[in-house]
Amino acid sequence: MQGGSSGIGYGLKYQARCISDVKADTDHTSFLTGTLSLREENEVHLIRLSSGGTELICEGLFSHPNEIWDLASCPFDQRIFSTVFSTGESYGAAIWQIPELYGQLNSPQLERIASLDAHARKINCVLWWPSGRHDKLISIDDENLFLWTLDCSKKTAQVQSKQSSGMLHYLSGGAWDPHDINAVATTCESSVQFWDLRTMKKTNAVERAHIRNANYDMKNNHILVTAEDESGIHIWDLRKPKSPVKELPGHTHWTWAVSCNPEYDGLILSAGTDSTVNLWLAPTSAEEEATSESIAEPPAQHADPLLNSYSDYEDSVYGLAWSSREPWMFASLSYDGRVVVESVRPFLSRRVGVS
Amino acid sequence: MVERENTRTDDVPLDDKAKRMRDLLSSFYNPDHSSAPKAPSNYENLDAIDSTSFDPDHYMNLLVQQSNLEGLLRRHVEMAAEIKNLDTDLQMLVYENYNKFISATDAIKWMKSNIVGMEANMEQLLDKIMSVQSRSDGVNTSLFEKREHIEKLHRTRNLLRKVQFIYDLPARLAKCIKSEAYADAVKFYIGAMPIFKAYGDSSFQDCKRASEEAVIILVKNLQGKLFSDSESIQARAEAAVLLKQLDFPVDSLQARLLEKLEQSLGDLQLKTVGIENILRESNDPSKQGKAFESIPNTGHEVSVHGFAEAIRAYRVIFPDSESQLIKLAQNLVIKHFEMIEQCVKRRISSANFLGALRTIWTDVLLMDEVLSEAALPDFSLEAGQVTVKKYVASTFTYLLQDISDALLKVNVSPKEAAEEHPLQVALEASKKTVLQGSMDLLLDFRQLLDDDLGLLVKLREFIADWVQEGFQDFFRALDDRFLILSGRKNSTSQDQGFSDGALGEKVLVGIVLVLAQLSVFIEQTAIPRISEEITASFSGGGAQGDENGHAFVSGEICQIFRSVSETLLHHYINMRTQRVSTLLRKRFTTPNWVKHKEPREVHMFVDLFVQELRAVQSEVKQILPEGLMRKHHRSDSNGSGNSSRSNALLDDKMSRSNTQKARSQLLETHLAKLFKQKVEIFTKVEYTQESVETTIVKLCLKSLQEFVRLKTFNRSGFQQIQLDVQFLRTILKENIEVEEAIDFLLDEVIVAASERCLDPVPLENPILEKLVQVKLAKSKERSK
Repeated sequence: MQGGSSGIGYGLKYQARCISDVKADTDHTSFLTGTLSLREENEVHLIRLSSGGTELICEGLFSHPNEIWDLASCPFDQRIFSTVFSTGESYGAAIWQIPELYGQLNSPQLERIASLDAHARKINCVLWWPSGRHDKLISIDDENLFLWTLDCSKKTAQVQSKQSSGMLHYLSGGAWDPHDINAVATTCESSVQFWDLRTMKKTNAVERAHIRNANYDMKNNHILVTAEDESGIHIWDLRKPKSPVKELPGHTHWTWAVSCNPEYDGLILSAGTDSTVNLWLAPTSAEEEATSESIAEPPAQHADPLLNSYSDYEDSVYGLAWSSREPWMFASLSYDGRVVVESVRPFLSRRVGVS
Repeated sequence: MVERENTRTDDVPLDDKAKRMRDLLSSFYNPDHSSAPKAPSNYENLDAIDSTSFDPDHYMNLLVQQSNLEGLLRRHVEMAAEIKNLDTDLQMLVYENYNKFISATDAIKWMKSNIVGMEANMEQLLDKIMSVQSRSDGVNTSLFEKREHIEKLHRTRNLLRKVQFIYDLPARLAKCIKSEAYADAVKFYIGAMPIFKAYGDSSFQDCKRASEEAVIILVKNLQGKLFSDSESIQARAEAAVLLKQLDFPVDSLQARLLEKLEQSLGDLQLKTVGIENILRESNDPSKQGKAFESIPNTGHEVSVHGFAEAIRAYRVIFPDSESQLIKLAQNLVIKHFEMIEQCVKRRISSANFLGALRTIWTDVLLMDEVLSEAALPDFSLEAGQVTVKKYVASTFTYLLQDISDALLKVNVSPKEAAEEHPLQVALEASKKTVLQGSMDLLLDFRQLLDDDLGLLVKLREFIADWVQEGFQDFFRALDDRFLILSGRKNSTSQDQGFSDGALGEKVLVGIVLVLAQLSVFIEQTAIPRISEEITASFSGGGAQGDENGHAFVSGEICQIFRSVSETLLHHYINMRTQRVSTLLRKRFTTPNWVKHKEPREVHMFVDLFVQELRAVQSEVKQILPEGLMRKHHRSDSNGSGNSSRSNALLDDKMSRSNTQKARSQLLETHLAKLFKQKVEIFTKVEYTQESVETTIVKLCLKSLQEFVRLKTFNRSGFQQIQLDVQFLRTILKENIEVEEAIDFLLDEVIVAASERCLDPVPLENPILEKLVQVKLAKSKERSK
């Protein structure tokens, strides 16, 4: 197992699927993760990387009423996050607030700010606008796209608008464009659809089957990365939706999640059901390619885009999050409830030219 | 004095002495210093003893001071001898001068005596000359009149003769025409021309008309002669020259003759078209290579001969018409090559191609004999270079086409091919096409190389290069074609020339496997053989090839095909698993698993899954070799023991969860995993039946596990999954090599289902067994 010892591990009690970077916490590198256990008491863990960067400390442990299928930290308030949960038969989504002074309480309870309870179908995810303070939220269920107005002080969330994805399009997830507050991408069985939130109309579509996950490039406008079950990772320039700009082989089995680095161009993480996390370098614009090549060693004209493959996992990896505070750190979560935080530093300096 | 002379003998060498003498003599004869030389000669001095500015006192002092007595004595003796010499020289000169003076005086005296009698003789001579002059004047005047008269008579006579000639001209011309002495006739007519010009309108009108008529006949005859092919070239050339002399517009004649030549060229081309047709027909393998050599060729040769003769004649007749002829001849060559290129487009054998080239080359050589200025060999070399290159390129294109045809045969008739192994057939066929085709190509090119045709000999190096380059490009194109055929690459980018464009979308999955295996074959067998062949016979133009970077690099091609075969194999596996994935997706998204009813039988999707696996199996069996690992695996039955352990563990675990002690369940799973060796699910795929099969099965089972994990089940749903997996396990064990990983994955599916189950109570074993048996019996029945 290469790089087996480099990661910092943390074990959850139960199986888990989702992990989120706490972006609003500027003092610490911390992550939020929630367990997925059908029959047990589920928990939300607030994990913090110790100042030495050598261990993961559980900063908060909160019980959560149901198994958590999706979890997203609020990008402007470190105490607020959203979850999508299931009782087995029904689904729900809620915005939670971590109580103040939680460290001193014995068994602190999460405070439910609002319930996003307009859904009738299976809810897939809740999206925050990734680039800053915005009072809107998006939730996606199998058939509909909801835009919510959230008022944290009044603790209310109201549906502002709602749009059905149309017949035979079962939505599976989505991504909010960090460059455009009004643009959202949703994935469904046969395509990625793009919505304008002002009109709630479809603006564009990329036809591609079995997309699991989509992620916007934080640095470059118009760039979207998608992960597909069998056919790996594709990088799209949304101005040219006909064919992908780049293709990466992905994983041996399904590629479950992709995540673009918030700081370094073309640095992409992917997690797969073959129990590996792959680190890719795939700059999209020609200019970046040129510079990255000039930095790279001479024969690296067609350098392998795969920088490293982290394979020290026991089960499928579903959760993946870059730290926005220390953009060379990322957290991964495998289904057996093991969080691993790794640094990609050793692979950066060589090809990306980061000191 | 004594001292002085001593020093002198001491110091002056003999050469110096001679020089001094000369200087002295020259200064003596020099008029400016007529008296001067004598003064210095008196003084015997060392350095400047002969110069006018010589200071004797100073010299003396110096000498006395510097020299010893002995030196002075020697100087003295020397100087005395010199003085004596000078004196004798002087005496000699005086004597000589005196002798010369005496003889001059004698000569003057003698001249004076001779001059005296001369004057009288001169006067006599003058008188005589005068009288001769007056006499000759007399004779002149007396004869003048007679001479005048005679001259007049003579002129008249000449005129009369000319008039006579002109009057006779028509008759004479007629006579000349009759006797075909055209040259004389033209000479006569041209002679009379100035007169006709001057007096034609008045006195000699009739005469002129008559002779002009005669000349018209003459011209006609000459033209006839010029155009008649039966006349000898010499005669025709003469006729042309005569016509030119008659101021006849020869240019138009030339143009007409050229037209005639062109026409004959056209005929020739028609004939060659015929030849090419025959050539084409002779493509039938039965007659191949014979037809072009025998009958049509001779006919063609004759006509080309005729053309060459015509050109030769024309050149003689119109010596200044080369450029047009060159154009004409080059046209012919171009047309020839165009014809061949046309044929090349339609695919001809190298023997035929060679035949055609040979025909052209002989033509060219023939014409070169008559028209060497046209540089036809060079010209046709250029044209031939293009053609041969095209030929090489087109043969490669056809090979490519052949290979894809061989591959696509399966695609075209998958249903009617009731053969049991359409894929195997396709693989074998395409293998054969690749190897045999390339070998045939090489053989063909060898023929081109080995032929001693002048054209080809010159092109030999180029051909070797082209062949190498061609193979390099061919394999690259083949690689591309493979990817397109497999649907990995969108054919939109280069769909032109793709008759099978429709197939781009719906590729038969099997063909991908065939392509993968074919790539392996090409890499491992075909390329080494081809490169061997190439190095054996086509290494000639290597140097140039290197410059262009186009030489055949087998390593590079092998690399390409290695990677493409891997890509294709993965693509095949991917396509197969994708189909199962779709199946599973439908299976898991459609029902409401939380409200599932009790399982009554194995669900249909397992049948479909197995069906897919059977398809894979049949394809794999046709294409891939059996793995060497098989026996080894069988004997190494530890795997099954291992799996049974995990089975026991599973049962144990589920019984516990039954008793609702599930609190520590996950911990146990963790522990179990810790103690069980981590099973490497995804290993490298090999090109064997087993490896591909198990890889596909493993991927599908993993997908199944993932789908299960995404759902929530009630008890019945879980039991359904349990039943399905149990049946699947049985079926798989019957059909394929079940390795540890597959067993593990099957267990994992059940674990996943139990984890995602609200109430995980498994089916009791007897019921499970019974249901499985029922299903097995049913499927056996159906297969009967």
